Amino acid sequence: MKGKGRLLIVFLGLIAISGLLIPSGAWAVKEIKIGVIFPLTGGAAAAGRELRAGTELAAEIANKVYPDLPMAMAQNAGIKSLGGAKIKLIFKDHEGNPTLGADLAKKLILDDKVDGIMGCYFSSVTKTVSSVCEQYGVPMINTSSTSPALTKRGFKWFWRTTPHDKWFTKDLFEFLNGLTDGKVRGVKAVAKKEITNIASACEKTEWGSHVSQLIAQLAKEYGFRVRKSILYAAKSTDLSSEVRSLKAARPDVMLFASYTSDAILMVKTLKAQRAHPKIIWGQDAGFEKPEFRKTLGDNIVGILTRTVFLPKVVEIKKLAGLVNAMYKEKTGNDLGGASARAFTGLQTWVYLLEKAGSTKPADIQRAANTIYIPGKELVVPWKGIKFSTSGDEIGQNTLGSGLIGQYQKQKDGTVGLEIVYPFDVSSADMIYPFPGY
Amino acid sequence: MDILISSIAAGVLIGMVLALVALGLTIIFGVMDIVNFAHGEFLMIGMYTGLLTAKAVGIDPLLALPVAAAVGFLLGVICYYGFVKFLLRGPMVAQLLGTFGLMLFLRNLALLIFGSEDRALHHGLLVGKSFDLGMGVIIPATKLAAAGLSVIAFLAVWLLMNRTKLGKALTATSLNSQAARYMGIATERMNALAWGIGGGSVTVAGALIVNFWSVNPFVGLLFTMIAFAIVALGGFGSVPGALFASIVVGLIMEIPGIWDFLTYTLSWDWMINVPMTSFKYTFVYLAYFIIMVIRPSGLFGWKH
Repeated sequence: MKGKGRLLIVFLGLIAISGLLIPSGAWAVKEIKIGVIFPLTGGAAAAGRELRAGTELAAEIANKVYPDLPMAMAQNAGIKSLGGAKIKLIFKDHEGNPTLGADLAKKLILDDKVDGIMGCYFSSVTKTVSSVCEQYGVPMINTSSTSPALTKRGFKWFWRTTPHDKWFTKDLFEFLNGLTDGKVRGVKAVAKKEITNIASACEKTEWGSHVSQLIAQLAKEYGFRVRKSILYAAKSTDLSSEVRSLKAARPDVMLFASYTSDAILMVKTLKAQRAHPKIIWGQDAGFEKPEFRKTLGDNIVGILTRTVFLPKVVEIKKLAGLVNAMYKEKTGNDLGGASARAFTGLQTWVYLLEKAGSTKPADIQRAANTIYIPGKELVVPWKGIKFSTSGDEIGQNTLGSGLIGQYQKQKDGTVGLEIVYPFDVSSADMIYPFPGY
Repeated sequence: MDILISSIAAGVLIGMVLALVALGLTIIFGVMDIVNFAHGEFLMIGMYTGLLTAKAVGIDPLLALPVAAAVGFLLGVICYYGFVKFLLRGPMVAQLLGTFGLMLFLRNLALLIFGSEDRALHHGLLVGKSFDLGMGVIIPATKLAAAGLSVIAFLAVWLLMNRTKLGKALTATSLNSQAARYMGIATERMNALAWGIGGGSVTVAGALIVNFWSVNPFVGLLFTMIAFAIVALGGFGSVPGALFASIVVGLIMEIPGIWDFLTYTLSWDWMINVPMTSFKYTFVYLAYFIIMVIRPSGLFGWKH
């Protein structure tokens, strides 16, 4: 028995030594590991599922050949310049916790030896994870965190594909200007004095208070007048004095940055107080959530919200329609803002690797700083992807843009979003002014 | 002018509802000298009762009031016999910490059962409706109904306390429980009744408030603080004091509206950007602080 045991130890020892002598790459099919950190459990789990599905679909397309899809990454199996190396995704769940996110990033870099990182949806988590990547010199692509501060840090290993809140707020003012110039579909030019007075109410965490500041700053630049700006707690159970205060300013335009429950409460209170501004606009988040639509039904007809992707995009962009069909087959849902941006994020990774022709961080960095992906390759309605390499927004995609949607009654009786901005892709006549309550 | 009238009307209406919230607190204190820190949690339970009854049975939330009253009464009585009765044997500190513990227990129980997300009523006979009084003055129907029903409930409790033998027994117990016991009054039962009435009135207030506020397990603390401010202002143990102070507190909560009125009437632009709505409860707590310093027994208080 003792002899057999010794024999076993010698045998195992030989296996271990042989493992050290022969490089693992000789056995494994060459693959590129991308660490993907998203909120897969907790309050944002639903968004996490969308983000994951969008990322997985992009990897699937990159790893196989889909000749019917008019995008470069669908024409090759794997990364052509790397000998057809396949993309391997390693998902991690940050639970909305910035500290956990940073720990996971370290694990991905040190233990899993990933070639790059993608994530993280929450701006706060993206902040800590990108710091870890910067420390270790590992490239990171951010797909859906919109805090402008993230690309103001001068990081060398961080690139963001999505436009941020400053762009979205700028879109709003471009839209208001367009309204006065008669560019909005179905609306005759509106005199500027009719929509000059603005009142805003934003939730008071980092996101909302920043949006409030941006509104004040851009209103000044575009020649509008902020008559009132209110910050409130997103956990408020009553917003009647806030709404009365907004109404007292007699605004033409009411702007909001709200999460889900407060967005619903705000609109309910606006209705109870019979608010009748000419325009109501929400900065995505709560104003775009399915609960908002389900709970308030017809009461939201005429309300505007910013977004990055709407199901209507598939009607005007063939590629988006094809990818949406694949996504729907996989998940049962249409592409949304989160999934479309996650798809685009991984797609950017594929194009970067293709351009770099290497997995060395320095080569990827060089590729990222010079890459240009044209808009026709993307599912999102952007002009393309090109990262800023100088100025105060290093790593920011300069060709992204947002959409503004308006809730309108659909033919089937439901309430859905129609595109009203950008003007050249609008999907319906805008309802102006807001019908009021 | 519409801003001012709207704000004053809103202040008076919410004040009437708050009167019912504060009533339970002042009765329990009046009869037993116990400050119930769990008072806001009773209200939270009333809100959930109104909301869930309306949703489960499919009736208008206002019709769920009797259910909320019954739940509150039972909760009050059970709390008394199962918990508070034992606290009375201990020192004052034990009573304070005891009801504080009850508050934590009820809040976390609600968290366990209902989760932390906000819930709100979206459908109902009056939900989302309002009356336009002209000149831009809008009165939400739910608040008007809640204020009216609160006043009715408040009067009912006041009549019970002042016009019935039971009320006299309660008052006797609150004045001198030992003497009341010598007179043959079952003081223990009176204590339980005080908790029952206190619980019932605050849960009814909760079921009214849920018509226009959303509810989560943490909502109680805000109301406990407001009820304390009202009872301190009106005087601990004073029922008419609670009514008067509630309306004062309701109006204090509308200081931001009065500020807006002055801003736009005087056209002083510097006033526009003062974040008054962020401080609406601060003014209430400030009033609470001032009254405690200047007149600790409150405006109508008789208990010392």
